[in-house]
Amino acid sequence: MIQVQAFLPELWLVGAAFLLLIVDLFQKPNSSKTLVKGISIIGILGALFSLCCVSGCGSCPISSCCSMESLPTAFGGFLKTDALSVFFKLVILLATLFTLLITFRHFKTNPTHYLTEFIAVLLFSAAGASALTSAQEIITLYVALETLTISSYLLASFMKKDKASNEAGMKYLLLGAFSSALLLFGFSYLYGFTGTTVISEIGKSLATQVSSPLLTLAVIMIVAGLAFKISLAPFHMWTPDVYEGAPTPVTAYLSVASKTAGFAAFVRLFWVGLSVPALQPTWIGLFAVLAVLSIILGNLEALTQKNIKRLMAYSSIAQAGYISTGFLAGGQLGLTAVLFYLFVYLFANMGVFLAISIVSAKTGSEQIEDYAGMWKRSPLIGIVLLVGLLSLAGVPPFAGFSGKWYLFGAAISKGYTWIALVGMIFSVVSLYYYLQVARQALVSAPKDDSPIEMSWIERSVLIICVVFIVTLGFWPTPVMQIAQSAASALFN
Amino acid sequence: MFSVIATILVPFGVSFCLFHSVTQGPNLLPVLSTIIIAPIIAALLVMIAPEKYARWISLGVASFVLGLGAKLFLNYQASISGFQFVEEVPWLKNLGISYILGVDGMSTLMVLLVACVYFAGSLISWNIALRKKEYFVLFSLLVGGVAGAYESLDLFFFFLFYEFAVLPMYLLVGIWGTGRKEYAAMKLTVYLLAGSAFMLVGFLAIYFTSNVHTFDVRALSDLSATGLSVSFQNTWFPLLFVGFGVISALFPFHTWSPDGYGSAPTAASMLHAGVLKSLGGYSIIRVALPLMPDGAKHWLPYLAILALINMLYAAIVALKQTDFKYVIAYSSVSHCGTILFGICTLEAAGLNGAVIQTFSHGIVAAMTFALVGTVYGKAHTRELAKLGGLASCMPVLGALFVAAAMANVGLPGLSGFVGEFLVFLGSFQSGFHGGFTIFQALFPIGVLAIVLTAIYYLRLVQMVFFGGVKDPHAKEEVKDGTFIEILPIAFLLIVSLAVGLYPKPFVDMSNLSIAPLIEHIGGFK
Repeated sequence: MIQVQAFLPELWLVGAAFLLLIVDLFQKPNSSKTLVKGISIIGILGALFSLCCVSGCGSCPISSCCSMESLPTAFGGFLKTDALSVFFKLVILLATLFTLLITFRHFKTNPTHYLTEFIAVLLFSAAGASALTSAQEIITLYVALETLTISSYLLASFMKKDKASNEAGMKYLLLGAFSSALLLFGFSYLYGFTGTTVISEIGKSLATQVSSPLLTLAVIMIVAGLAFKISLAPFHMWTPDVYEGAPTPVTAYLSVASKTAGFAAFVRLFWVGLSVPALQPTWIGLFAVLAVLSIILGNLEALTQKNIKRLMAYSSIAQAGYISTGFLAGGQLGLTAVLFYLFVYLFANMGVFLAISIVSAKTGSEQIEDYAGMWKRSPLIGIVLLVGLLSLAGVPPFAGFSGKWYLFGAAISKGYTWIALVGMIFSVVSLYYYLQVARQALVSAPKDDSPIEMSWIERSVLIICVVFIVTLGFWPTPVMQIAQSAASALFN
Repeated sequence: MFSVIATILVPFGVSFCLFHSVTQGPNLLPVLSTIIIAPIIAALLVMIAPEKYARWISLGVASFVLGLGAKLFLNYQASISGFQFVEEVPWLKNLGISYILGVDGMSTLMVLLVACVYFAGSLISWNIALRKKEYFVLFSLLVGGVAGAYESLDLFFFFLFYEFAVLPMYLLVGIWGTGRKEYAAMKLTVYLLAGSAFMLVGFLAIYFTSNVHTFDVRALSDLSATGLSVSFQNTWFPLLFVGFGVISALFPFHTWSPDGYGSAPTAASMLHAGVLKSLGGYSIIRVALPLMPDGAKHWLPYLAILALINMLYAAIVALKQTDFKYVIAYSSVSHCGTILFGICTLEAAGLNGAVIQTFSHGIVAAMTFALVGTVYGKAHTRELAKLGGLASCMPVLGALFVAAAMANVGLPGLSGFVGEFLVFLGSFQSGFHGGFTIFQALFPIGVLAIVLTAIYYLRLVQMVFFGGVKDPHAKEEVKDGTFIEILPIAFLLIVSLAVGLYPKPFVDMSNLSIAPLIEHIGGFK
């Protein structure tokens, strides 16, 4: 039986996207975009709202009363929305909402005739990411992932007349296609070994098999294919160029929503499907190497960056490394840490990107040195940069600190003390480049005194980000509890 | 309206101070939380109030906190000892994190120290002109963080409050500093947080290795319950010691300290040198020693050598400095070496000496930095070659500086003497008790550091305040300190004198924590 609740959020998103495309047919090129903005925001809010109504309150993580019977399923169990997917969807949808705000700001100063298409593609991409989190089967998972990434290729190269954007899209497409092929190849091996595409069945089937080199090869290919999507080193080469060249909203979207979806896929595939004694040491070892490499390379390369979007690209590589330490530790504790950190990362990164888009709309520059004197031009942006970036660096009292405490705590609890140590030491390295931005914003004298204006919505969203980050640093308990019940859904 | 509030706030703070220091009754407020929250509320008030009232709010809240600190000191029940004024709120139960505040004898002294330096620092910042509001916001947040770190009995909150204090420090040095301020600010922050990286991993390792599954220091101090193996202790003790040591400028991780203090604005260097830096030694006594006594016994004789290098090396470097403030900064590093050396002796006398020296160094360093800042504000240079004969145009400040120098040198009657005497006594005893003759060998070298301290301070007094006036215009232009500048310095001098002349209550207070600790560890055997 098909329960529509299982894909209600996706329906909202796809519905809004199609509506947008139809509306666009009847609108004159230069007409007001209020209707477009309204439809897109309603689409996402509807999707967010439907999360709470998935099967009554059956899998609503806030009520934490979810039981197996009431989980909405569809397409023969290929899509199933449990508390874990609800949490991931929440992060993805919020990230998309932020991206919309950044989009409106970005295209106000870079006018385009194709704003409606841009938003429609963004919503399609979000629908893919959202579906990915409930996929219980590898083909569905692959299709959802491709919906996400193919839309992202379009988004990255959206500025048709901008060389950097075109280059970004092309690079992303070529490398992305290659990694998708690897992933699919790995999946085909899995199917060959187990005769099923359902992830939980794969797990049961593999539990009875002994390890073989071909199976290990399959695992390596799957890890490589997915590691590309969340830009773990050494599969991170595309990240800086794409993040720098793509329009700012796309960069923000890729850094949060796309990464969250990637981690959702990782969690399902590995902790449900491949969590068997014969394979676990292999992929945990692989992840340990990738995590440490990402932490080291991401942080070291970020040190010399002059462009803020490029800096954020390297920062996001390092962040993916930190999150992976929690992921590889696994268990209730590790996955809770991953979820909590993703939630915190959402607010920190999105706040910073919103600030970036507001500043570059005014100054037309993405150079870090042009952030000088933000304390005078717009104190709020100065504070957002300080709070957001230091939260990413993991400095108390900001939420990133609590997040890292849990991530590294989870790693240490499983005996990966050395990874935690590397992570902490390179967090200190990261402080150097984060503080360089904060220093320009709060310490240096302004080159240009003109104040930076923003709308009341942007102002209140920035304030919400700051409040969230500070509050979650001191009082992480509520979100931690939601994350815990979400993580425990996987082990029921 | 704000002038009304400000004028009410200050007398209220002072009267509250007097009232509460005498009452022995039940506590109406959770005192410890109030000490942390009051500066944070001050920061919020400064943010919304007009700029000209910022200093009044800061001073009002500082005198309030001083009152609470005095109350704590006077109301601590010596007969019960142990942790008092405890506040406990569960935070994250399944991760063993609770918000626990509490003070024993040692931390009572430290909270009193924080309150004293906060009060003096508020006064010394009276005439800050640049970005006044932000200055007082950050200054107050810094105090809140430090106070929280001294009061926390939960490792998570200890860490949180400590790093919470580092961040305002970065901005204070970066914005209001002098010289190579941005370099200094970055260096200071990166060093301190690098030290804390080891702390964090160490804390988590302790949590996951021990059997009690809590971050509560009191529970973790029970070795039979935690079951931390000797090999675990031997691995983690030195890492934690170094992690904490970085805060206290342990050699070879001390270089952030002179640069940081050289550049920091006066009140920030007072608070950092006086209070934040002492956190390193304090947390070794509070966390590292009781949690890992076997590791301590194994490693301390070797770590003592680092502490000794701290004392001597910094003193030698101080001799060669050409910048007034750098001499003081290196002197502070050298004194922190004494504190760490006292801890390494693992004797009651040595540890008590370390605690008293921490308190004394806090007061005296704050006083000295306040003097340097005031003199610099008037003479407009810190280069020793350009200063000279200032005693003739600023007699009061000159006299105060001589007093501060003597307190640093350890003249009997001032606080520096008590701490240093106890530390060296402990070092001598340690040699007898444990058979670790290394301490007897180190003892004379340590005393040499005191001689060096005397040399560089007398050189400083002679070069800055006596001799001929280098700049002929200086005579007319340079004025003596005003009342508001003298007041905080005199206040700190009185505290130092009190400790020097009648050290008994302070030593007793410290011994309330140290005696059980020594019993728990058992010294070198």
